[in-house]
Amino acid sequence: MYAIAVDHGGHVSGGGVFRPPGRRLVNEGPHAAGDAFAEMIAAIAVRADREAFAALFGHFAPRLKSYLLRLGAEPALAEELAQETLLTVWRKAATFDRARAAPATWIFTIARNLRIDALRRSSRPTFDDDPFDAEPPEAPDAALAIAQSETRVRAALAALPVEQAEVIQLSFFADKPHAQIAEELRLPLGTVKSRLRLAMGRLRGLLGDLA
Amino acid sequence: MSQPTRHPADDLLLDYGRGVLEPGRSLVLNAHLGVCRACRAVVRAVEAVGGVLLQDLPPSEMAADALDRALTKLEVGTAAPAARPPQPSDWIRIPGEVVDAARRGRRWAAPGVWVANVTGDARRGPRSYLLRVAAGMAVPRHTHDGGEFTCVLKGAFEDRGVVYGPGDFVACDEGVEHRPRVTSDGECVCLIAADSPLVPRDLIGRIFQPFVGI
Repeated sequence: MYAIAVDHGGHVSGGGVFRPPGRRLVNEGPHAAGDAFAEMIAAIAVRADREAFAALFGHFAPRLKSYLLRLGAEPALAEELAQETLLTVWRKAATFDRARAAPATWIFTIARNLRIDALRRSSRPTFDDDPFDAEPPEAPDAALAIAQSETRVRAALAALPVEQAEVIQLSFFADKPHAQIAEELRLPLGTVKSRLRLAMGRLRGLLGDLA
Repeated sequence: MSQPTRHPADDLLLDYGRGVLEPGRSLVLNAHLGVCRACRAVVRAVEAVGGVLLQDLPPSEMAADALDRALTKLEVGTAAPAARPPQPSDWIRIPGEVVDAARRGRRWAAPGVWVANVTGDARRGPRSYLLRVAAGMAVPRHTHDGGEFTCVLKGAFEDRGVVYGPGDFVACDEGVEHRPRVTSDGECVCLIAADSPLVPRDLIGRIFQPFVGI
């Protein structure tokens, strides 16, 4: 039952540089994929649903591996951390709060923290030091805004001027200094930095009420 | 708690959210984020961007038995979340790792001053440490070979005309020469991440520095 939602990437709104060429558009409503993933996480939390786990694994593990490879992980480590991320999703499913983050956002932060821990070989997991843990529960209207964050982030990214979107896209998952990005784009370093700053300012304005 | 007034720049929040900051620097940002609603909102936005971009990445092929191996590792029953160690009640909320460091190794460096290493090696390379300075004292004039991030955990200090209080974040660029001075009635405790040991600029500092180990 989960396979249908998983095959589709959850892409909804208009064009822009963030859509890899040739991706299918989904026909379901704008929150369909994110909601389906949230249901799977809930199914894991409530009834240790292995089918839901397999579906999440099928969608996210290969993308997590790509993410980790881009950040310079060796293929074996990328595979292991992608796997460990999903195992963490299984273990922490009950702590997932869909009012606070979209499933993909939550899974991204788990992978990000596991990667940092792997680099540090720290005994204390970064994940347990989340400064967001101390927050009071969200007000209902704020929770709704966050639940729709994926759609809004896509819209915000699509609304960025192309040159700003380009530096965000090139730098976000890149384990390289801004100087190298500047070289690849044949731009002065100052220009790359100011574009990043402008893009952040716009995203901040568009997403500021995610607090 | 009142909100801090001095914040990290957006590009630092972006790097924090991407997970590419040096670990000590990341801890200093973490301490600030623990008390700063506005900066948490920015990091949340960055993480949401990360989630979207993650989904847009082309998938990489996993090993053929990857899912089967994962399925064999699934355990039923939820693990209890790790308990946060109790921290000093008059400090801002700090990461557990910093609490551990404060308990593990406070070293009195001078009367009124203690240092506790958190991450890295005190002699070279990037590191982070807790610095406690008693009321009324100043850190001897010094400069830095690299940048330095500070978050105030308790008390307040003045540096080049600005007073920093609990939760405030300050980034000091390479080469800035300064002599921060405690202005609170009680002690001031800061979490500091530095690229390299500080460089004393006067005789007292040069005598002081080998003992302080910062």
